[in-house]
Amino acid sequence: MTSAEWLLIILLAASTFSVRVIGLFAGQKITEYPHLKKALDALPGCLLVALIATSLSAASSFIWFASAIAVIVAILSNHVILTMILGFTSLFMLQTYF
Amino acid sequence: MKDGMLSILPLAIGAALYGFAFGILAAQTGFPWWAVTLMSSLVHAGSSQIVAVERFASDELLIGAALAGVALNLRYLGIAASLGPLLKDRPLFHKLIAVHLTGDENWALTFAKRAKDPSIGVPFLLGSGLVMISTWTLSTTAGAVFGTTVPDLARFGLGFAFTAAFIAMARALWRGHMDTLSWGSTFIVTLLLVKLTGNSAFSILAGSVFGISVSLFLQKRTSVS
Repeated sequence: MTSAEWLLIILLAASTFSVRVIGLFAGQKITEYPHLKKALDALPGCLLVALIATSLSAASSFIWFASAIAVIVAILSNHVILTMILGFTSLFMLQTYF
Repeated sequence: MKDGMLSILPLAIGAALYGFAFGILAAQTGFPWWAVTLMSSLVHAGSSQIVAVERFASDELLIGAALAGVALNLRYLGIAASLGPLLKDRPLFHKLIAVHLTGDENWALTFAKRAKDPSIGVPFLLGSGLVMISTWTLSTTAGAVFGTTVPDLARFGLGFAFTAAFIAMARALWRGHMDTLSWGSTFIVTLLLVKLTGNSAFSILAGSVFGISVSLFLQKRTSVS
């Protein structure tokens, strides 16, 4: 394993644990600021959407199409594994038959 | 504690499938199986692990990958804060163990049960948390071991597996039409910025900040009117 991979694990573990501990001891104070709380609540969704947009920025039209299928499956089912399986199946079929 | 361990089982099965899939992806991007074990037991926050591994694999930017992961974990500020009253008479060591064992699933289950039965408390949280962290660590490890034996998934669109996972994770966070608008603008702004600058780390940051601003603006407008 590379030192960068080691560092990634250590950094992610240390920062995540810090967030949990800070939350326990100071979370009540942080959530007293309504704007900060709203921003924190909106952050995960926006971040994920930005990650999706980045991964699609240089993707083929097949991947865009399969992503659209995955979005529809996700909206209807709200199920992680089903979304991944059906998204992947549609991508596989597109690549095989077109 | 036993009650918590049993009650969480249906949710643990769902997490195991998800963990197995993550293990495969992590192994395919180059992490040895024991590194996945280490990461899952020390981080214990699935979505941030997926995001960090994806960023690391596609950008090789260590800090960017860790930041993206921990940004997703900022929701634990609120989750851990809600544990304050529950843990207030416990020694520090117990508190530290309890926050590490608390994930989305067992936190939600503990508070849902506690609303009906106030005697449900720390033992339930810890029992269900122990099952969750064990399931998560074991299933991601199993996925990683399996992932090293299967052929190179990159040819079949490994990148898309991450995209599909992000789509499903976002869906679970959707709170209503306010999110549709802020997410739509995040998507467009991020896409434009990546195309214009070619810098994905910057685009993700700027796109997310833009989306959060839109969300704050919309919430302000609805609360005024």
